[in-house]
Amino acid sequence: MGNDAAPLLSGTLDLLILKTLSAGAFHGYGIAQHIKRLSNEALTIEEGSLYPALQRMMVKGWIVSESKKSPTGRDARYYRLTAAGRKQLGQEEADFKRSIAATVRVLKGSNA
Amino acid sequence: MTLREIILRLRAWVRRDQLSRALDAELESHVDALARDLAHTGMSPADARTAARRQLGNTTVIRESSRDAWGFPRLENVLQDIRYGVRGLLHAPGFTITVILTLGLGIGANAAMFAVIDRLMFRPFPHMREPGSVHRVYVQTTVNGRRNVYATIPYARYLDLIAQAQSFSQHATVSEWRLGVGVGEHARIQKVAGVSASFFGFFNVRGVQGRLFTDVEDQRPMGSLVAVLTHEFWQTVLGSRPVLGEPLRVGKFDYTIIGILPPGFVGTVQGRPPHIFIPITTVPANLNPWQRDIYASQYSWDWMEIIVRRKDGVSVAAANTELTQAYIRSRNSQRVSNPRVLPDSLAHPRAIVAPLRNGAGPAPGPESRVLKWVSGVAGIVLLIACANVANIMLTRVLRRRREIAVRLALGVSRSRLLGQFVIEAMLLALVGVVVGLAFAQWGGSAIRALLLPEGSTLNLGTDWRTIGVAGVCAIVAALLSTIGPAVLAARSELTPSLKSGVREGSHRRSTLQTALLVTQGALSVALLVGAGLFVRSLGRVRDIPLGFDVSRVVDVYPDFRDANLETGVEDAAIRQLLAAAQSIPGTAGAARANSALFRSSTARLRIAGIDSVEQLGRFNFQVVSPEYFDVVQTRILRGRGFSSIDAPHAPRVAIVSQAMAQALWPGREPLGQCMEVTWEAAANVPYVPCTTVVGVAEDAAYQALTDEQRFVYYLNLEQMPGGWARQILVRLNGEPTATEIERVQRALQRVMPGDGLVILRKLQDVIDDQSRSWRLGTTLFVAFGGLALVVAAVGLYGVIGYTIAQRMHELGMRIALGARSSHILRLVLGQGVWFAAAGAAFGLAIAFFGARFIEPLLYKQSARDPLVYFGVAGTMILVGLVASAAPALRAIRADPNRALRSE
Repeated sequence: MGNDAAPLLSGTLDLLILKTLSAGAFHGYGIAQHIKRLSNEALTIEEGSLYPALQRMMVKGWIVSESKKSPTGRDARYYRLTAAGRKQLGQEEADFKRSIAATVRVLKGSNA
Repeated sequence: MTLREIILRLRAWVRRDQLSRALDAELESHVDALARDLAHTGMSPADARTAARRQLGNTTVIRESSRDAWGFPRLENVLQDIRYGVRGLLHAPGFTITVILTLGLGIGANAAMFAVIDRLMFRPFPHMREPGSVHRVYVQTTVNGRRNVYATIPYARYLDLIAQAQSFSQHATVSEWRLGVGVGEHARIQKVAGVSASFFGFFNVRGVQGRLFTDVEDQRPMGSLVAVLTHEFWQTVLGSRPVLGEPLRVGKFDYTIIGILPPGFVGTVQGRPPHIFIPITTVPANLNPWQRDIYASQYSWDWMEIIVRRKDGVSVAAANTELTQAYIRSRNSQRVSNPRVLPDSLAHPRAIVAPLRNGAGPAPGPESRVLKWVSGVAGIVLLIACANVANIMLTRVLRRRREIAVRLALGVSRSRLLGQFVIEAMLLALVGVVVGLAFAQWGGSAIRALLLPEGSTLNLGTDWRTIGVAGVCAIVAALLSTIGPAVLAARSELTPSLKSGVREGSHRRSTLQTALLVTQGALSVALLVGAGLFVRSLGRVRDIPLGFDVSRVVDVYPDFRDANLETGVEDAAIRQLLAAAQSIPGTAGAARANSALFRSSTARLRIAGIDSVEQLGRFNFQVVSPEYFDVVQTRILRGRGFSSIDAPHAPRVAIVSQAMAQALWPGREPLGQCMEVTWEAAANVPYVPCTTVVGVAEDAAYQALTDEQRFVYYLNLEQMPGGWARQILVRLNGEPTATEIERVQRALQRVMPGDGLVILRKLQDVIDDQSRSWRLGTTLFVAFGGLALVVAAVGLYGVIGYTIAQRMHELGMRIALGARSSHILRLVLGQGVWFAAAGAAFGLAIAFFGARFIEPLLYKQSARDPLVYFGVAGTMILVGLVASAAPALRAIRADPNRALRSE
């Protein structure tokens, strides 16, 4: 975690988790690692906040969990995307891109 | 929240312990994994573990916010508040019980009234399809500004009104009668409804057994003799046995039973529901054989009502316009045979559709106005209860000020605090609903006995409409009475409350509290004035001299039920009946009479020297047998009664009432005067030459009870042609109890020829009916006024008691400084009296200005009767004294030592 790590844009944690899980089943630690790695350590998340988010997404029906042996041989909970989750991901991704594009346009100071 | 989320959350909530353990394990393994990775970078294992924990964050926060997903956090907050509220209420039983009882009284009063009014005015009839578009048709004329509205009309009128109507998708006719049903020993008078076959089409009904009758069986002039029975009649009277196809004697004819209606079906009836439904086209011949062929074309007999269903998209106004035009055409065709039908320019005829329930229609019964008032009164009782509860809550808030301040200081949000107040109030209101419904069920029976048809049962525990209204009352009451105190609590300044002890400044009453107390007092006083006025008014009605005493008299009406009995035969049978009645042991005589009480008849009178007798007023006549005056105990003041010398062919004689004698022959001797009488309406029928006045009787009430004019004359039955005086009045030696009446009934039933029936009725019931609206007003106003007074007294007691408790220290000081008990007593009692007097002053003012609205409901009673006003004010002040007596006694026992020691 370098000093140049940026804080997470608010509201994007769900999106990142969904995106991560779209690549396959992960346990909590794995999700955190994956986000860090893919962002080249640029994004840090407070790792603990993953868990309430996962619980919330489970009761929304976007993800499900199952117990499996991890590669290290310990019991771990793996999270997996559901069909509803996949749909949610698509929507959140689109929303996010639109919102970022608009924000960037404003920052550039032009309407083009 | 989607349904799926609710289910998932529920499932999570059920497994929350397991989930919590799994989360702990997960967090633990997260730390392990992180620590392992950090150790790889060269940290010492201990440092790596600390760093990993730091990186994970605060596990308590993580656990708590995860838990938010397992269940319904908001709901859980509310549940927690409820638990807290229940505990708080249980800790203050005095407060809780007072509030619940007060709310219960207020809610109960309204539930009881609503249950009755709903049944009289609003509730849709059972099984009716889309009741919103169904109406009763009324015709109306306005002559000289006086409006006459009738729902009961001739059959010919129905044909005229409906024949060309485009506004209605359905129409039906209804008429109700009390007819003899069954034969022999089991024959009884029952309510029978004659309805058109189309009537059943207004309902979602089929026979639970057999079928209902159809148009084919309901043909003019005479329909088929078929009958459909209610489920209740079939069960209770016929014992649920198979009866389809059996004959049933109804009135004069034998009907064939073709079907049984589903349970609960009552048709469209206001009072006691009918048991038997027959085609309406069989009714006229059943009542009067000669009506059979003329009822559909003549306008002289008002006997049935119309119900209609408006077509979709047809407005009430459009339907009224169409009906009115039809009514005007109908009057035109009526005028052909009867030129005396008033021209439209004088009569202003209209025909309208109105609510099906008579009570909500344009011609409601006399009680209806009283009923509206009393619902207002019930509302006021609820308001008083609210004021009282608000007051008690306020006191509680004042008492809990420190606790509230501490909680606010500890960070409870003000909105949560407000929420807790509301929840507490709702809890109280909820119990209040239950208590109120119980009050209404058991305490409201008097109201129902007065208002609902005899024999109607009512279970408020399953009456969801009433429960709903009680619930709404409770919620409104809870909100009304909490808002003030809750806002006060939430606004309270922290520091002064935290700093001050019980002693400082807490005994000052808030202005809100004073206002509430005075309002309560004022409203109760206004209600009590109403109660007082009604009591006095009813007293006056009771004091009206009747001119007869029929408290022990029963009225016997023979129903011969034989379609072909000749007048002579019938007369002989009635004579036999009279003889039988006179020989029943335990009776003090029997007589024949023509008109039932308050159902008098008039004839045309000619008196020498008077141009038009009609202009002097309404002269009722009564045809009686000689025993009549003894049986009803009307005194003959001058001259003589009828006797055996007034034989059929002896000179005709009459007895007149004193008022009539004075009106016709003022200042002259009435005895020996000649009256010319005819009872044919047509002008060319000759007057009977001369009926001589032989006696003057005391004035008696033959019209409405409260009518001032008491012009009545009696003609001797012996000197009249046959067919008169078909009723028999029997005077009993004792009270007319049910068993006595049954005994008389059996004795008389035996002498009736054929399938004839006798119908008995206590005459006292007829008189009571006349004073019903006053009795109703009196009962309800007294009950609710009394309730209001009790509630106000409790409120006063509570507030004064509380103030005294807060002032114990000060009072102790006063006693220590030498104040006498009498002084302290006066101080406290004075407070109670002050409140009561202020309430009384405002209340009397309300009553004074409301007087002109209530006066029309009273009988010969000014609505500004000083006696009532002073009486009520006195009562209120007395209540103020009583309510402050106990706190006053506590006050003089204030301990000076304690006061001094705490200083």
